[in-house]
Amino acid sequence: MLTGSKTTFKVRQMVPDMKERMLSPSGLNARSRDMFGLRCLPGECVLQRAVLVRKKLTAREGGGWLAGTLFCTHFRVSFVPQDSPKPDDNADPVLLGEHDVALASIEKVVAVGPSRTKLVTPNSSLKFTPEELVLYCRDLRVICFLFDRLTPDTQAVEITYTIAKTYQPLKPGCVLAFQNAALGSVEMKQFLSNRRRDGQMNWFESEDEWERELERCGAKGWRVSTVNDRFEMSTSLPRYNVVPQRVLDTELKRTFAHFNEGRIPRWSWRHPRGSDLLRMSSFQNNIYHEKDDTRNLELVLFGSQWSLCVVVDLGEEMPSPADLQLAHSRLRALCLGDISNSVTVPDDKWLSTLESTHWLDYTRCCLRKAGEVACLLRGGHMTVALQESEDRDMGCLVSSLVQVMCDPHCRTQEGFQGLVQKEWVMSGHRFYSRLNYHRDNDKEEAPVFLLFLDCVWQLWSQFPSRFQLTDHFLLALYDSTHLPLFSSFLANCHRERCKRTQHLTQTYTPVNGWRDVLPRGGLSLSSPTDSVDPPLPSVWDWALQYGGRRLSRFTQPVPPTPPTPPPPVVLNGNLNTNPDIRRMSDTVQGSVFLLSRGSFSSPTNLLPWRGGGGGGGGGGGGVAAAVYKRSHRRAPSSESLSGLERLLKATALTDAPQGLTSTSTSTTGPQGSPLDHYEPLLPLLLGPCMRVWKECYLRGVLHAQAFSHPVSSNHAHPVVRLALEVQQLHEQLALASASSSNSSSTASTINKPPPPRHRRPDANLNQNTNNGTFLFPAPRAQARPVPPAPTSSSSSSNPKTSRVNSSASSSSSSASSSSSSSAAHKDHPSAGGSAKHTFLFGPPASSAQDPRAEPRYYPNAKLPHGDRPTIGS
Amino acid sequence: MSALGAACGKAAKASFVSYVIPEEIKAEKDFGKQDKTPTLLPGEVVFCGASKVLRYRQDDVSQRGLFGTLVCTNFRLAFVSDQDPSEELVNLFRNKMYGEDDIPLACVDNIYGVYEDKRKLLTGGMVKNKIPSKLVIHCKDLRVFQFTLTYCLGEEAKRIFQGITHHCLEPKSLRNLFAFSFCELNSFPEMKRQQKTLMFEVLDDWAQDLNRLRGACRLVDENAEFGLSPNLPQFFIVPSNVSEADLTPFQGHGLPMWCWSHPSGCALFKTSALPAAVLQEDPVAQAYMEKMLTAVAHNYLFSVKTEDLSDTLPSVSEVQLAYNKFKLFFLIENTTDFWVSDVKWLSSLDGCGWLDIVRQCLQKAMEVVECLEKENANVLIMEEGGSDLCCVISSLAQLMLDPFYRTLTGFQSLVQKEWVAGGHRFTERLNQLHLKDKEEVSPVFLLFLEGVMVLLSQYGPSFQFTETYLTVLSDSLHLPVFSTFLFNSQHHRHIYTQAESPHSPGSVGRCPVVWDWSVQFDCKAQELFINPLYTEKSRTPRASQRSQLHKHQRHLSLPGSGFKLSPKRGFFKDEADSLKKILRVKRLSRWMLSPEPGSSSSRDFYQAWQGRPLDYHGLLLPCVDGPWLRLWMQRYLRWVQEVQIFGGGLVTVLSRVYGLLEEVNALRRELDHRGGAGRSTARPQRPRAPGGEAPGPQVRLSSSFPFSGLRSSSSYKPSIPDSLLHGLGGGGGLGEGGEELDDAGSVV
Repeated sequence: MLTGSKTTFKVRQMVPDMKERMLSPSGLNARSRDMFGLRCLPGECVLQRAVLVRKKLTAREGGGWLAGTLFCTHFRVSFVPQDSPKPDDNADPVLLGEHDVALASIEKVVAVGPSRTKLVTPNSSLKFTPEELVLYCRDLRVICFLFDRLTPDTQAVEITYTIAKTYQPLKPGCVLAFQNAALGSVEMKQFLSNRRRDGQMNWFESEDEWERELERCGAKGWRVSTVNDRFEMSTSLPRYNVVPQRVLDTELKRTFAHFNEGRIPRWSWRHPRGSDLLRMSSFQNNIYHEKDDTRNLELVLFGSQWSLCVVVDLGEEMPSPADLQLAHSRLRALCLGDISNSVTVPDDKWLSTLESTHWLDYTRCCLRKAGEVACLLRGGHMTVALQESEDRDMGCLVSSLVQVMCDPHCRTQEGFQGLVQKEWVMSGHRFYSRLNYHRDNDKEEAPVFLLFLDCVWQLWSQFPSRFQLTDHFLLALYDSTHLPLFSSFLANCHRERCKRTQHLTQTYTPVNGWRDVLPRGGLSLSSPTDSVDPPLPSVWDWALQYGGRRLSRFTQPVPPTPPTPPPPVVLNGNLNTNPDIRRMSDTVQGSVFLLSRGSFSSPTNLLPWRGGGGGGGGGGGGVAAAVYKRSHRRAPSSESLSGLERLLKATALTDAPQGLTSTSTSTTGPQGSPLDHYEPLLPLLLGPCMRVWKECYLRGVLHAQAFSHPVSSNHAHPVVRLALEVQQLHEQLALASASSSNSSSTASTINKPPPPRHRRPDANLNQNTNNGTFLFPAPRAQARPVPPAPTSSSSSSNPKTSRVNSSASSSSSSASSSSSSSAAHKDHPSAGGSAKHTFLFGPPASSAQDPRAEPRYYPNAKLPHGDRPTIGS
Repeated sequence: MSALGAACGKAAKASFVSYVIPEEIKAEKDFGKQDKTPTLLPGEVVFCGASKVLRYRQDDVSQRGLFGTLVCTNFRLAFVSDQDPSEELVNLFRNKMYGEDDIPLACVDNIYGVYEDKRKLLTGGMVKNKIPSKLVIHCKDLRVFQFTLTYCLGEEAKRIFQGITHHCLEPKSLRNLFAFSFCELNSFPEMKRQQKTLMFEVLDDWAQDLNRLRGACRLVDENAEFGLSPNLPQFFIVPSNVSEADLTPFQGHGLPMWCWSHPSGCALFKTSALPAAVLQEDPVAQAYMEKMLTAVAHNYLFSVKTEDLSDTLPSVSEVQLAYNKFKLFFLIENTTDFWVSDVKWLSSLDGCGWLDIVRQCLQKAMEVVECLEKENANVLIMEEGGSDLCCVISSLAQLMLDPFYRTLTGFQSLVQKEWVAGGHRFTERLNQLHLKDKEEVSPVFLLFLEGVMVLLSQYGPSFQFTETYLTVLSDSLHLPVFSTFLFNSQHHRHIYTQAESPHSPGSVGRCPVVWDWSVQFDCKAQELFINPLYTEKSRTPRASQRSQLHKHQRHLSLPGSGFKLSPKRGFFKDEADSLKKILRVKRLSRWMLSPEPGSSSSRDFYQAWQGRPLDYHGLLLPCVDGPWLRLWMQRYLRWVQEVQIFGGGLVTVLSRVYGLLEEVNALRRELDHRGGAGRSTARPQRPRAPGGEAPGPQVRLSSSFPFSGLRSSSSYKPSIPDSLLHGLGGGGGLGEGGEELDDAGSVV
């Protein structure tokens, strides 16, 4: 596995000649392509083929039939349409073509004969010549092939057999056969090992990358600990964990034993208001707590905060993996309309049946929990620790959902990928078991990650304009989870993943006993072949899977305007005028509450090392508990109402508490206050607002009306066309302005491109913003007329960055090309100044602030400890 | 702020007390200095009023309310709050006729009285001596109002209560409707042909439509003075073979009326069926029916298919029943109700069957489309009255087939043609007169709008109008101002609009039609009716466009299914013979030649259509499978605050589009300015972004965008009470940030 960005850049330059080397000697490839029209991956071989086959196109693809040749290799079932364009020899290999399906993602093979339908298993025999071959896939696709009368019968039978025999691993561990088929050849290995890594996103594989995240979030008081570098403390945790600064590694080591699987509280994210999000597994109760331990445990749990810790219990309300699996299989049955069990749901009962799958309930439940946590974090200056017994399923889900809700960065493609890396891949979600590629571990199988994607999709569908990524991206990610090829999903924890790569490079000798520790079904079972394992690519290497056209759909044509950093002025004002909070937080130091079922409580046994007494840690806790109890009694009626929605509304709508109204800056009347980008996106969870992810769940449906008419690719959606038109106009304008050299009218300055921007690699804040949120690869952005100075890199083409470098530019030009927004802001009298941002609509109002004075997040150094930054207007 | 914290009825509960902020109590004392009256429309007369009426918010926990004056006029119930008008929100989308706190009398659906916690439906004709402690008014546009009269003076309370019940519930005559007094004093200029909306009130409009579609039919003007039959429209079009003598025998029953002609020459007709009993026994009727069928068939030498909608679609009363169940989900009196319904949301949607009726109608319309498009057969749809489901099906089919009807004017013309001129019994179906026997009441027109909405939501860019337009149109049904929805038929209208009426001259003739949107909305609001994504078809001359369309559809037919009936006379006779047989045995069957509806053939048709690239200006077929029928969110959920997505929903995307359009236009101008006009003419013109600016940036949008419903005084209490958070040391963090949102939200 590649680490470090330096090598990455070297590799990038090497790629072209690598490609040549890889492709030129493959005479076999060229020959096979001539014969069959199939472009094999290097080292892939065709097991069987059938000619004159027609593929039924799904409604999404436009319906109808497509004639061509069907192949079965030992990696995939491939279909090559008759009149498909000649594949480009020089293109990088794409694992799966448009009409291909990986054998490993096939769930069921059904042969349809003249009078009968048969489910074909590896051991079954066909007594008829199939006319139709239906492949049900695990990713909810259904692929249907029709054999022509002219197809030789033997071919039809043979290919059916071949597929049926090869799609399912006969014994555990055989999944490697697929990997070897796809990636095992020397050329492919070389190609893969030289793939450059996406430098934009954060992989969370090295210490630096964690540091980068800490910096991005402005999290102070935390450090990256390497205590688990050799996975000695906890096998499922990553090498690097973020722990409070004030806990020494030696102290830290003593805490591992107190948590299930040694998954101690670790930092995940910091809310701009200064709350930290932590994750941990449940406490080990049967352990004696020494006094020193107790102190350390408290330190670790409270993190950088002293005052308040809320433990959010993810065990009780959340669906168990088994629930999820059941719901998902029901949903599958409903959506797929499986031939073999022939249960069709009448249209007028569809919604009721959907309800009875409970899938939407579970989605809602996760979103609700995440919304609760997001609201809590928003309160500022507390530690919120998500606790789950193993901290490997719902912990991943909720913490990443919270971040999608709260952090605009996580709604970009890079940000989201980083988030999945951080919260799922690195922190040890058991992808391998949950996805159950081997199909030997059915008990463990559960679509937890899919549930997460669905939750994100729900958010996306409610707030489409707040996301840079699109549902296409989510769907592609969903598809990839069903392909047992990616390192990201082929291991249960980081250790397994590391072990694999280190085998490959032959530099690592396993520590004694490790093999035994590995869970059953782990990669080690296939040990004889370990040394020749192909290097598994990461799922984020999208170019391996998709061509440019599909990749371009991963992000919105018109990206949301990147967030502007919260105005520090308001921030400070609010902070300093609020000493009460600090005093209070001093007194009630160390109180711990449990958030469960939408309400707080402080059970005595919450922290096992604290003996009795509500808050425990001193008198302050007791006071807090008393306050809690009193107020709790006072408002019993609200309990009976559904929890989160009220909470959500509370955060959105409550009147300001009396004491604070005076201190907050005056509100702006009917024009409304600026939208705060760090306000959590709180989804509405009511029945009418929860929707089915049709593009995902219903795409396998073969009958016609499952889909509305697909918008064909040559007939772009009006919005896309509009975006393109803007782009073209910009180009024309650039041309025009180039020709008419000295047009110094005021009109011309409006559309003048932002002046070139020089990268300052040392300025961390700016770098962060460049790498992350501020860079939206939009067609519009690229369409900006490029200023003459060639130094302007991609970031300069982005109108949003004009603010960042506005120190160099006059105010007139800083009203970049966003004529629309400036027009809109003209009749927005109170909108002057930096406090006004429009996130949703158009480019932001330009502000002439010095970039370095605008931190992306609240820099904690400036804040007195214990104060809460608040976002006023 | 004169919001009152604790409610009268439930003040005993301790939990509410804490929500009263001392300020509010103070403010309560100096209210009611003078009675406030709403600004009256011309012709509006105040009947009675009462001050110190407390109006509740829908939120039931805090039971906060607003004091104000409730006034009952001959047009509406108006609630004027005592709140300082300076706090009035700037609403972009204000209806000029009535405000957000007003209920047009015709819009009142049900009134419930709460007598000591017992709720009772008030109906007309009841003796209403006892004044309920609380009035709950359900509106037809799904708003819910709750008023308490307990703080009023006894006399005032009695008067207003009786006034409300009388004017909202008792039957009245058409002449007493507000439209008449309104129009008397208001002169509306004869609309300038309503931006080319065809009104189908003059012969020319019919001729124009017939010409546009190249129908080979006969325009009938013998009924111009309603000499033939009062049931028939003033003008109509029949197959060219129908002789003059054929027009009258059964008062227009059985007479095929032309609706639409397909470019291939076949056409869609509708008729009001002869009663089954007559058809079975009366040989004259049978002969007549046969003749009419032949006439329809002769119109073009293809087959004819008939469809009796009463057989295959739910009856009008079933439609009403389903809708009554359906609307209850959205008439939210308090939030708890909503949570309760939420648990079983999807299955209850299924249970009431409304969506299924919408689905059936769309499916039927698709069958009609299939016949016209694929088999090129003439279609005759029939039904008892010929003006309910016939209208739904024929207009939906035309909407799918003809891109003209998907423009704003086209759609308005379609409604005029099929519904207004076509004689949909609006007075009865909408119960404009509050008659007690409600058998005739049925939301048939709404059913049509629902169907349009399904199409619109699936193929947004092919419609020139927006969801908001449809929602507003559905609201306007219950505004007794527009002549469009007031009458049962053209004859009915004629009676009231002609000079000999006492309100002469031409009283209601001057009544605005609903298409005159400036009566209700100003220009800025009207811009929300226009879909920014709609692009007009490239402007080719009409003739060539026609031929293009024709050609396009010619090679539509599928392999195997494109079997065209040979226009042989003999073949045709056969069919007529079979018709005869059927007629003799029983009443007409359903599709005579087509296979069972919903069978694989219609699926094939859909699939074949789907296989072709989507043309926003071509044929549209909706998806009606289970997962695809969705709720008309804007209409049904706009008043329910719980489901408003703040800063989200489609509207944000739309406003982004507005922004883009604006940018395009700005760049265009810039380019023109710079590069001269030479190049600019070559480019196709983009529709201008309405108003030159997006409605977006100034306001925070919620998913129920143009319709508000959120006010600053409405408040929700968290399940984690503020006080607790104070105690936690988090210190009101939740509340604090809420403040800004609070204000912002209220704008929308």
